[in-house]
Amino acid sequence: MSYTRNLIAGALLASGLTAVTPLTASAAECIAPADPGGGWDFTCRTVGRLLTELKLQDGSVQVTNMPGGVGAVAFANVAGKRADDGDVLVATSTVGVTQIAQGKYPGGVDVMRWVGMLGTDVGVIVVPADSEYENIGDLLDTLKADPTAVPVAGSSGAGGWDHIRLLMLADAAGMDGDAYKAIRWVQFDGGSPAVTQMLGGQVGAVSTDLGEIAGFVESGDIKILAALSDEPIPAFPDAPTAKSQGFDVTGYNWRGFYTGGDVSDDAYQGWVDELKTLFDTAEWKEAAEANGLITVWRGGDEFEAYVADQAKQMEDISRSIGVIK
Amino acid sequence: MDILTSLLSGFAVAVTPLNLALAVFGCFAGTLIGALPGLGPVNGVAILIPVAFAMNLEPSSALIMLSCIYYGCMYGGRISSIMLNIPGDEPAIMTTLDGYPMARQGQAAKALGISAVASFVGATFATLGLTFFAPLLAKAAIHFGPADYFALYVMAFATIGGVTGVNPFKTLLAAMIGLLLASVGLDPGTGTARFTFGSFHLYDGFDPIVAIVGLFAVSEIIMYFESHAVAGTGPAKLGRVLPKLREVFEGFTASIRGAVIGFICGVLPGAGASLGAFVSYSTEKQISDKHGTFGTGDPRGIAAPEAGNNAASGGALIPMLTLGVPGSGTTAVMLALLVSLNIQPGPLLFERQPDLVWGLIAALYLANVVLLVLNIPMVGLFTRLLSLPQWLLMPIVVMVSFIGIYSISHSTFDLFVMIGFGLLGYALRKFDISLVPVVLGLLLGADMENNLRRALSISGGDFSILLQSPIALVIYGFTALMLAFSFGIAMRRRPAVLDK
Amino acid sequence: MIDRIAGAVIFMISAAAFWVARDYEASFGDPLGPAIFPQMVAAAAAILSIGLILRPDPNPKAQPLHAFIRQAMTLGVLIGYVLLLEPLGFPLSTMIGTTCLALLFGAERIKAGLTGIAVGISLYLIFDTVLGLPLPLAPARFG
Repeated sequence: MSYTRNLIAGALLASGLTAVTPLTASAAECIAPADPGGGWDFTCRTVGRLLTELKLQDGSVQVTNMPGGVGAVAFANVAGKRADDGDVLVATSTVGVTQIAQGKYPGGVDVMRWVGMLGTDVGVIVVPADSEYENIGDLLDTLKADPTAVPVAGSSGAGGWDHIRLLMLADAAGMDGDAYKAIRWVQFDGGSPAVTQMLGGQVGAVSTDLGEIAGFVESGDIKILAALSDEPIPAFPDAPTAKSQGFDVTGYNWRGFYTGGDVSDDAYQGWVDELKTLFDTAEWKEAAEANGLITVWRGGDEFEAYVADQAKQMEDISRSIGVIK
Repeated sequence: MDILTSLLSGFAVAVTPLNLALAVFGCFAGTLIGALPGLGPVNGVAILIPVAFAMNLEPSSALIMLSCIYYGCMYGGRISSIMLNIPGDEPAIMTTLDGYPMARQGQAAKALGISAVASFVGATFATLGLTFFAPLLAKAAIHFGPADYFALYVMAFATIGGVTGVNPFKTLLAAMIGLLLASVGLDPGTGTARFTFGSFHLYDGFDPIVAIVGLFAVSEIIMYFESHAVAGTGPAKLGRVLPKLREVFEGFTASIRGAVIGFICGVLPGAGASLGAFVSYSTEKQISDKHGTFGTGDPRGIAAPEAGNNAASGGALIPMLTLGVPGSGTTAVMLALLVSLNIQPGPLLFERQPDLVWGLIAALYLANVVLLVLNIPMVGLFTRLLSLPQWLLMPIVVMVSFIGIYSISHSTFDLFVMIGFGLLGYALRKFDISLVPVVLGLLLGADMENNLRRALSISGGDFSILLQSPIALVIYGFTALMLAFSFGIAMRRRPAVLDK
Repeated sequence: MIDRIAGAVIFMISAAAFWVARDYEASFGDPLGPAIFPQMVAAAAAILSIGLILRPDPNPKAQPLHAFIRQAMTLGVLIGYVLLLEPLGFPLSTMIGTTCLALLFGAERIKAGLTGIAVGISLYLIFDTVLGLPLPLAPARFG
């Protein structure tokens, strides 16, 4: 095995592999601020794939994973190095805005230009199908009588979005801060682990996004006590909303994109238009529904205002429960 | 009967010329990716998802190709463990303990052959379990609560002292260093930033792959000059290029035991393949290391963890498919893959999409056979690696490691962290402190702490919850037994050790 | 002796970690809190490191000076490579880095250079083009 033969073999392998994948890269790049496999990664890969398939972009959209600090590393990178790069989209969601509102990113929402959201997941409170609780009022009454009576689980830590949504309900039920702080909160690495631990009898209820756990509702293992949406969820029209039960709380987790703060108006508007076109296709509807998302569009100025408003609201809640001082 | 019919229909889906070709390609590509340090199965599958889309494959074909890549990566991780003392992925760390010494003795081909057969045994055992008992096992696994997982981790760390290295104090110390490193980053329970010193880059803690590549690969090249200057040892002897048929079945019974233990760890969604490999190895060592040969190239020390980690990654598919709960990073990517093919894992998967599920299971059987057939001749290819001159091999290994890390994170910070771990690894080697417990601490530390805290969150701070579960009590009892047993063995072996 | 120094260093690091961790607190919702576990581990590490100070193993052999110089140079090449990766782009910096490493490992100059060029180009093709993991090509990209 001579040196030259090794080199030739390596070159052949490289060129052979190249021939297998006829990919031409477009200039566009989508940054997923997480490891491969998570929700943000999914957003980037699905939207990137559809942009290519629908010929909105020439060639494939490059997906770059930039994990770190629940999105803070990507945020810092774009703010610092690529603030005027009109080819970059960064995937984010309500979770990212929660982080910003709690001061965990290097900068506020005004540092970036918010392009648009394409869909949203809905927060739900679920219990096992054979649970004694029939509606959200039953559960909240029990917690009111003794906040430590029912341990509740979700996919975020204490002070994260899943936890905050539960506390918003407790607040709406008239519990005061000291009482709802005493509610036992258990963090798991996702909605499905939380639900399976609930089915195993470790916790009494789960507060999380519906998308990941919809299968357990369909299979009849668990039931929805309250959907935190304005209207009933299309996939589960019988599940009551919190609003319909007298608790004025909604808790969405939208999926969308931002881009650098110094991006030109033309490039920004180009992205808004492109994503709107994508949003209107049947392909997006199908991909979104398969992931338990409800398709909702907000783009451009409307989205900017929405994000600013949400960040403000989130900051107020976080302060009132003592997550930030 | 029902299951067999479904499985047959699954094979009908899987065995078409196109799918067979894709399976072979997937197995081959997966083995190569798994063998590259820095690119484990997580990234291997994630990277090739868009390739599958670009080829416009049917969902079932894409699924077959990607699951072959997944299994291929699991097979491939052991190769660099054995050849270079650099684990290709997290679960392969235990394989360095006996695989690398065996390769140094000129028996690389034998080590690769044994590990290929053990991987086959483990993965096939897990696939059989998946076929016949998936829903049943998933129902059992949900009764494993945080207190029980905590007991499992206590068992791992209580028995670690007897597993690697000569000095149990140093091994325990190494595990503590790993656990301490694991607590760097944002605490998932409360979002508190720990030991980050204000740097966002440390918020996610130390990526185990970065740590592994640094500890093993970077420290290896720094150590290289020294070991050559001091001991005058050349590169490992090449020995035979292909193993003898008889040799590859050495340690076969060890691989059966490893497969059972690994499979149990895999089915528990909070445990995973690294723990599976570790428990398989330590149990095997307690049972059969009568002459102190473990750690010096004992075939059973290769067979047990390889069967264990492959059985665990196969077993991890059970909670992933039936509950939608990924037990590890790798299965998380498989989950993302299924979702991107419009397959929603969860309690209804087997009813709703039986064609795809049984196609997948058939594909896994296929992948195992293809991998075994492919891996035996590939042993020749990989053993020839050792005949490359060091000035060629070493720089390539380093560059592949660096770029494997950088291409995923796009962060030069990670590369500096990796060099830092290289220095740490070098220092630990100098002090004769084993690297494996450091990595185990780093891999398992976060889950150990999280489960302890979950248990206490549920009880409102009452520690007695840790001892209320019968499952946890059984695990603690087993731990005590293992400790007593290894203490007994150590007493009997003491004179032999002193002779050295 | 060297074990004792290592023991002392680890003891100090553990003590520092124990001290730093005391500030971590959860405002609510988590009875154990973020501080206790790292403190438990740090305490265990500190106790074990005292064991190392009291009962050290014999010293390992020291490396000769020329080996030490090569080790330092290797480390220098690695750090330099990481620093130059983004400013110079991947292919160029990898060519330089690989060539330097090959020379350190005793390659002839021409072979080292050829290896550098081959590794730089083929790794770029494999990762960026085939696997679709974008790498900086030219100096311009990250400015």
